Amino acid sequence: MRVAIKIHWFDWINRQEAFVFILLLIAILFLGLTTTTFLTQNNIQDISRNFAWIAIPAFGESLVIIIGGIDLSVGAVMALSGLVTAMALRFGVSIPMAIISGLAAGSLIGWVNGALVGRVRFPPFIVTLGTASIVRGIIFGLAGGWPILGLPSGFRDLGQADILLGQFSLPVSILITLLLAVLVDTLLSVTVLGRYIYTLGDSEQALIVTGVGLPRIKAIVYTLCGTLTAAGGILMTARLGVAAPTAATGYELDIIAAVIIGGTSLFGGVGSILGVLLGAAFMQVVQNGLVLLGIPAYWQSAAIGSMIFFALILDLWRQNRNIL
Amino acid sequence: MKIRHTLMLVFLFSLAACQTAPGQPSTMNDSTAPVRRKITIAWIPKGLNNPVFEVGRLGAIQKAAELSAAGPIDVEILYAGSVDSDGAEQARVIDDAVARGVNAIAISCDDPTACIDPINRAVSAGIPVMTWDSDSPQSKRFTYLGLDNIQAGQAAAYLLIQAMGTEGKVAILTGVPGADNLETRITGFREGLAAYPNIHIIATVVTNDDINLGVQAVEDTMQAHPDIKGWYFAGMWPLFADRGSMPLWEDAALHHGMKTIAFDALPVELGLLRDGYLSGLLDQKNWFWGYETVQIVYDHIINKKDFPAFVNLGYNVITKNNVDAMLQAWNTNDFSKPLPPP
Repeated sequence: MRVAIKIHWFDWINRQEAFVFILLLIAILFLGLTTTTFLTQNNIQDISRNFAWIAIPAFGESLVIIIGGIDLSVGAVMALSGLVTAMALRFGVSIPMAIISGLAAGSLIGWVNGALVGRVRFPPFIVTLGTASIVRGIIFGLAGGWPILGLPSGFRDLGQADILLGQFSLPVSILITLLLAVLVDTLLSVTVLGRYIYTLGDSEQALIVTGVGLPRIKAIVYTLCGTLTAAGGILMTARLGVAAPTAATGYELDIIAAVIIGGTSLFGGVGSILGVLLGAAFMQVVQNGLVLLGIPAYWQSAAIGSMIFFALILDLWRQNRNIL
Repeated sequence: MKIRHTLMLVFLFSLAACQTAPGQPSTMNDSTAPVRRKITIAWIPKGLNNPVFEVGRLGAIQKAAELSAAGPIDVEILYAGSVDSDGAEQARVIDDAVARGVNAIAISCDDPTACIDPINRAVSAGIPVMTWDSDSPQSKRFTYLGLDNIQAGQAAAYLLIQAMGTEGKVAILTGVPGADNLETRITGFREGLAAYPNIHIIATVVTNDDINLGVQAVEDTMQAHPDIKGWYFAGMWPLFADRGSMPLWEDAALHHGMKTIAFDALPVELGLLRDGYLSGLLDQKNWFWGYETVQIVYDHIINKKDFPAFVNLGYNVITKNNVDAMLQAWNTNDFSKPLPPP
């Protein structure tokens, strides 16, 4: 009986979504009790706005990590998509067309990554580091070092406006995040492509035996990652009302951290969009909480780094348990 | 990351290599015209990712054009740097400039210690080096042109006291923790407030030089301390974000008497100052980083003039009283005229 309970407990904790959810609840409870401002509507809106552009690229990154890859170009792609959208708007292009052009830029970079990883069989680490470098160079070339300001209010509303739902007002960006979460989760859990993605992460050989073209699946996954990353970059640009060449520098670490904290295994084959959503929310709550608690700024990056380290150890622990 | 930097450096130096080699006579179409000498000055910022260095580059180009037009020597500016601020990459930029055989180097050091060896190697190779904006005092550079950041931080404190009075909660916004110029600006600011016991510095938040993180840090702090009376931005990061992106800060500034003093005086900040969001700016004279360094280097290598170890460039204080003059300077791209008093 004791053994049965122990196994049950391990199985439950093994679902990292549940684990992160509990951590998130503890953090919310702790911050709600120790600060007077955490649970105010303003603060909750602020958190939900700010985590949108980490969560959405993290959906794409999780797809890549589930197939056993990695995309280090997400920060650069966020900046590029925001810049392309802003430049299109400044050229007088309509808002929908400008957004499509930003999404297309992200998709293109994703497709290039996917083609090089899938067809040419370059290691994803090297490929995406290379494209990140090229993309940043293009961004600096296009912008000449200066941020692009003066974006139309209709566009900025995507990142700044709220929608009234009864007594609550929800940021548009969080609604977009939830919609995309449902779409990507459906893709993973219902479609044939989703099944291929998990199988590819588990065992390439198993998929080869079925006769499915691996390069095609990889190209699709990296392209989806590029598109979702672009959506995050465009939302961030809308929120700030500025497209800066330096935007999202180093964000790949935050995005990958959200994915890993949410339970996606760096070894591939395991992960869920719900987990990624919770991982991104947890990171944002902790970042917000550190400021509200008045933790000295110099210690904040150490706290975030420790969190990532903890998630990695947990991932390794779960892997070892599965092996044993 | 390293590949990115390497690619950028290769690109920049390839561009530079396409031009006439330094120290050689320029190609002249008219064979009877006197042969003009040419000197090349490598003007190296901390990183190519910060627009304030672009302003400095314009000043350097302006002075080079003026000197070339007025004298017998053509002055060429080689603008080279790593994309991001990175001490190791900057060391390589210096070495590459030496290898190219420039006549002088003017550099804003990303890391004062990491700069020592490459600067000393350049000096040993016979290339005079000066620093600007950010110094490497232990190196063999012949002078440093810059701002006394302690003094500027104290001036910021004085401006804030003038705007908000002598009591209340104050918060500080900085960039990358540990950056020497930012830390000294904050030290000066704290010293400036030390005589006012009823002013309490309740938070120091960081942006990591990122606009988005800056916006989040300011808004999170406004959530935690809605009764804040003053902000000191040691740089301008969140101010690049458009209006509406910091609703709590904007509301407090416009309707609750909260005051903010910030560094730099780019057009976006001048607009915020004019519209009442900011109370004062400390202009580091970014344009003069280029304009004055080129003059100093020219005087040093051509006129054999010596300079003290520190040349204080000073700063401009911008308030509502002279903001229009500064905007005019931006519109005409002419920063040489003195501003009216603040």
